[in-house]
Amino acid sequence: MAELTDIQNEDIRYEIEEYLERDEEIERNIELFARVSPGMQDLAAALIEGDNGAVDQMTRDALEKGIEATEIMDDGLIAGMGIVGIKFRENFIFVPEVLACARAMKAGMTHIEPILSASGVKPVGKVIMGTVKGDLHDIGKNLCAMMLRGSGFEVIDLGVDTSPDDFIDAVEKHGANLLGMSALLTTTMPNMAKTVEAFIDADLRDEVQIMVGGAPVTQEFADDMGADGYGKDALACVSLAKELIGAKA
Amino acid sequence: MGDKGMQKIDPLDHQQRLDRITEIFAGMVTHADEQAAYRCPYRDRFDQCTAKFRCTNQAKTAVEGAVKGAVEGELPGCEHDGRFDYRSAWESDPQSYDRAKAKIEQIHSNASRLRA
Repeated sequence: MAELTDIQNEDIRYEIEEYLERDEEIERNIELFARVSPGMQDLAAALIEGDNGAVDQMTRDALEKGIEATEIMDDGLIAGMGIVGIKFRENFIFVPEVLACARAMKAGMTHIEPILSASGVKPVGKVIMGTVKGDLHDIGKNLCAMMLRGSGFEVIDLGVDTSPDDFIDAVEKHGANLLGMSALLTTTMPNMAKTVEAFIDADLRDEVQIMVGGAPVTQEFADDMGADGYGKDALACVSLAKELIGAKA
Repeated sequence: MGDKGMQKIDPLDHQQRLDRITEIFAGMVTHADEQAAYRCPYRDRFDQCTAKFRCTNQAKTAVEGAVKGAVEGELPGCEHDGRFDYRSAWESDPQSYDRAKAKIEQIHSNASRLRA
């Protein structure tokens, strides 16, 4: 049975000692990190810190040293994200920190994607995401992007205050088959309808399935706006995206 | 171990990996929804506001001695006591829904007219 002292990385030891409270999770993580190489412990620690620059560099270096991508994902990125999930569940960290860790994970996965592609692992679908024009709320959209990426989608996140033209340009540029729009204000929600109309004007409406979501949005509004689907939260967003891709195929 | 170009990943094996990531993220998303009932999702662990928009709860000056955290840069502190469910704000004003509905109808109607 492994001991905490078998883990070389001081930060990982601290994370386990300070933040993990359930015996089975402490044991499982000690066992896990004790068998993980020091380099992967460092990678996991950087991810837990939400340091996407460090995760980016460490992943690149690890691949250049010949470390297997599977080891990087399992022992570095996913192992680290497991700790993040526990810290969040126990309210030691909050949504902004979780999203920073998700960004760090994406930074690492960016270097692994070419290997996945070469191995025949294709993205489930390609999604353009953005909060509509005039709206600066991004938490819901970011959680959707995180969930979609975790489920194997390629996500191009346009951020907040996204104009219909920006959505159209991104769909054309990336050849995306899905578009996800978010709004948190009843005053900006109609801009989803403007974007749908812009896609019709650009003769691209049939090329892309449009999903909408956000606190004030309902199925009725989604229908009114001419969207293909409505997701009430990030979990529903993934189910909807898969359904729409299936419907399109 | 091989070089980057030689590596292969088993697609079935990778699907199991995605399932594990999805499981972790799904737990996070569910907790985020529950937590939103009593804490603004833009408020970080240092009680700083990470929102890109103005909020009346944002402190006038940045939090003193804020430790370098997951969010870079100096951010305003959040002065709210946290006892609120912001989600209900979007469900309590039927008039704003009516206005949005009317606006959407107008957008479609204008677009159809311009096309014709």
